Amino acid sequence: MTAISNETGRAPAFTPSRIIILAINFVMPLATLVLMAFFAANTTAFLSLDNFAALISQNAAVIIITVASAMLLMAGYVDLSVGSVMGLAGVVAGLVFLDAGSVPGLLAGVAVGLGWGLVNGILIGLFELSPIVVTLGGLAAARGIALALAPNAVYGFPEAVVALGSGKFLGLGYIAWIALAVAAAGVLAMSITPFGKHILSIGVNPRAAFLVGIRVKKTILTLYALTGLSVGAGAVLIAARLDSAPSGTLGVGMELTALTAVLLGGVPFTGGRGSMWRVLLGVWFLMILRNGLALMNVGTEFTNIISGAVLVVAAGLEVLQLRLRKLA
Amino acid sequence: MTARNSIQLIDLCKSYGTVTVLKNINLEFRPGEVHAILGANGAGKSTLLGCLSGAVHPSSGSIVIDGREFKGFAPREALDAGISIIYQHFQLANSLSVSDNVFLGDERRTKWGFLDKAGQARITSEVLARIGLELDPDEIVEDLSVGEQQGIEIARSVRREPRLLILDEPTAALGKHEVEALLALVRRLAHELGVAVIFVTHLLGEVMAVADRISVLREGQVLWTRARSEVGIGELVAAISPDAVPLETRRSREMSQKVLAHFHGFRSSYCGPFDLAINEGEILGIYGMLGSGRTDLLETIAGARRPWSGRLTLQDRELHFKSTIQAMTAGVALVASDRLAQALFPSLSAVENLMMPHYSQMSRLMRKPRKELGVFRQMAADLQLRPSGPTTAGSAFSGGNAQKLVLGRWLCGLRDIALLLLDEPTQGVDVGSRAQIYQLLRRFAKEATGRAAMFATSDPEEAVALADRIVVLVNGQVAHVVDPSIGEAELLSLAQTAEIAHGATHQLGSKEDIAL
Repeated sequence: MTAISNETGRAPAFTPSRIIILAINFVMPLATLVLMAFFAANTTAFLSLDNFAALISQNAAVIIITVASAMLLMAGYVDLSVGSVMGLAGVVAGLVFLDAGSVPGLLAGVAVGLGWGLVNGILIGLFELSPIVVTLGGLAAARGIALALAPNAVYGFPEAVVALGSGKFLGLGYIAWIALAVAAAGVLAMSITPFGKHILSIGVNPRAAFLVGIRVKKTILTLYALTGLSVGAGAVLIAARLDSAPSGTLGVGMELTALTAVLLGGVPFTGGRGSMWRVLLGVWFLMILRNGLALMNVGTEFTNIISGAVLVVAAGLEVLQLRLRKLA
Repeated sequence: MTARNSIQLIDLCKSYGTVTVLKNINLEFRPGEVHAILGANGAGKSTLLGCLSGAVHPSSGSIVIDGREFKGFAPREALDAGISIIYQHFQLANSLSVSDNVFLGDERRTKWGFLDKAGQARITSEVLARIGLELDPDEIVEDLSVGEQQGIEIARSVRREPRLLILDEPTAALGKHEVEALLALVRRLAHELGVAVIFVTHLLGEVMAVADRISVLREGQVLWTRARSEVGIGELVAAISPDAVPLETRRSREMSQKVLAHFHGFRSSYCGPFDLAINEGEILGIYGMLGSGRTDLLETIAGARRPWSGRLTLQDRELHFKSTIQAMTAGVALVASDRLAQALFPSLSAVENLMMPHYSQMSRLMRKPRKELGVFRQMAADLQLRPSGPTTAGSAFSGGNAQKLVLGRWLCGLRDIALLLLDEPTQGVDVGSRAQIYQLLRRFAKEATGRAAMFATSDPEEAVALADRIVVLVNGQVAHVVDPSIGEAELLSLAQTAEIAHGATHQLGSKEDIAL
């Protein structure tokens, strides 16, 4: 950087390293476009509004939970229990659907997610227990409870629930609309609310955040509760869509999918940075990767290999960008 | 141990660009002698130590060890040449054992290539015995007291049989007992084991207790080197800070007699009782060393630390803060010391850094980016912030500008701050920004009614230059309340005397210190 640019804060001239820094920002969008073009060229079903609409409905829970997980990670915290809690919330919702009807079931499912999130938030936010330990415990325990409550899948839900799961508005499923609304709320929360700034401040420097009067503990508690809420909501939506709550498989691996999407979206594991737009791009990338490969009759093992490799490459580029920034 | 030659610095110079930090330093460090190096902040002490440890490469001159002439070191070469440095912050692996730490990075191996634990433990015991420490080599470091941890740092150095052992403010983290033990150890190392020791500290009581010779640095040059027996504390104080406050830092002492804040028997966990009134328009300085309780006091007032007992009134309202946000809302804000750790958000933008305390105050749901930017531009101009771009990352600001940015949070008028607290307001800040910050603080306190500031500092020059009244804080107690016109030399000696007196009344076996 030249002395002049330092003084005025104006963008410095385009040096090779600055160009690379900027270019890295476009790697993920470009990779997404290339992937879409590839699937469009190689399958007939991929490039259609119907396919995309179905894709969003299928992945409604992934989208909702990723948005919450992203906010959590931007503050420097993580929730590994989302998948199992989703299973539990789905099973509870399913049992109540059968027992007491649709509205109590929806409420029960959401309440299980929210309640679990609150407990996570209290243990981690207020009592400062390790997020990894607490939510890893939750990962095991919630699945165990789900299986104990219902060893087999719960199914045969009331009509209203099935209608919620499969109904459409303007060609897009209700649950897809809900997922898009949550995504929009996530973008707005991070960009235009004080809450978004508080999240980043905690991710960057929790001590400084505390000293300038940000309620750090309360914010962390809120984030875990929101994550729990989104898990509960995701669970009932997917259960409604499947017309079934399989205790052994519902939500399995969700924590990894959500975390992968968030990291692909450029949020560092230590938090403090990140854009919700890019996180949504990360989810979209994973969604089309799975969908496209499935349409090409490629097994899920390849989906996993590719998404794993892409994640590591993305992380490598991130590090390169940081290094170059420091040199610049 | 065999007789050794002394280590000499010959015409050592260091400059950065046009700024000369060290100028023709000629010093000799003799085996078996404790050599204290004193000097005000910025006198060049750390650069000098850096040249010896290999952290800094001298611009010219040389270091002579055993007839070998070095033009400068890499850190590894310094170690090989027998120079060992112990920093104020311990470099220990807390979860490992004593012997693991003593051999860290230089482990012994058995002939099979495995770690020679038994051999390490044996040698560690020998080394500990040599420096008079009774410790089990298998003990885990984090279970030890701070003083014992310091001992392990020394054992690690001593095991390498250094020619020159450098201790950089070694007593800062220690309690009184431990300081005593350390000073005894340092004397032993020099006098019995024949090590040349360099001892750097601000505490003149320690210097008088431990040093054989004393060198004073001033503005990058050696002012003089003398035997300890030839100098008194008064002379040291005069040498370190000659009583000269630059004119521009003197101010008009206009102050209303109206009381703004009143402490009645106020106590924090470590400080107090504190009975004091701060007048409107006043800038109250709290002068105290590390460990005097200054940070504890300020953080408690700002709602960042508990417990709180006794009373504090602000404009006749009784206050008791349970959180920083309560304090801010009531008009009390803190600019914490150690910007990087406690105040700055390095990866966030300048405008975010400025606005962070105020986002939820400006609006609950939707932020107002245009207004934020307006406030930022106004403040950037008022503060003469460089760079002044709103999107510049916090990490891109130099010490002085980062401090102005952090200070700007409370000057921008988004909250009505009546009592501004500052901990080490110009730590790591260049001279130019320092004057600016003083001016900003004076403007804050004097140009509107109903305001005052209170700052803590360990720099006597700062206390004298900025404060309208100075409280000398020693071990959590108000030792003196003085007018800044007494000058920094007098202030320093007041604090030193109070410190020594405190040690004498609270500590058996420190009589030696006072006698000297």
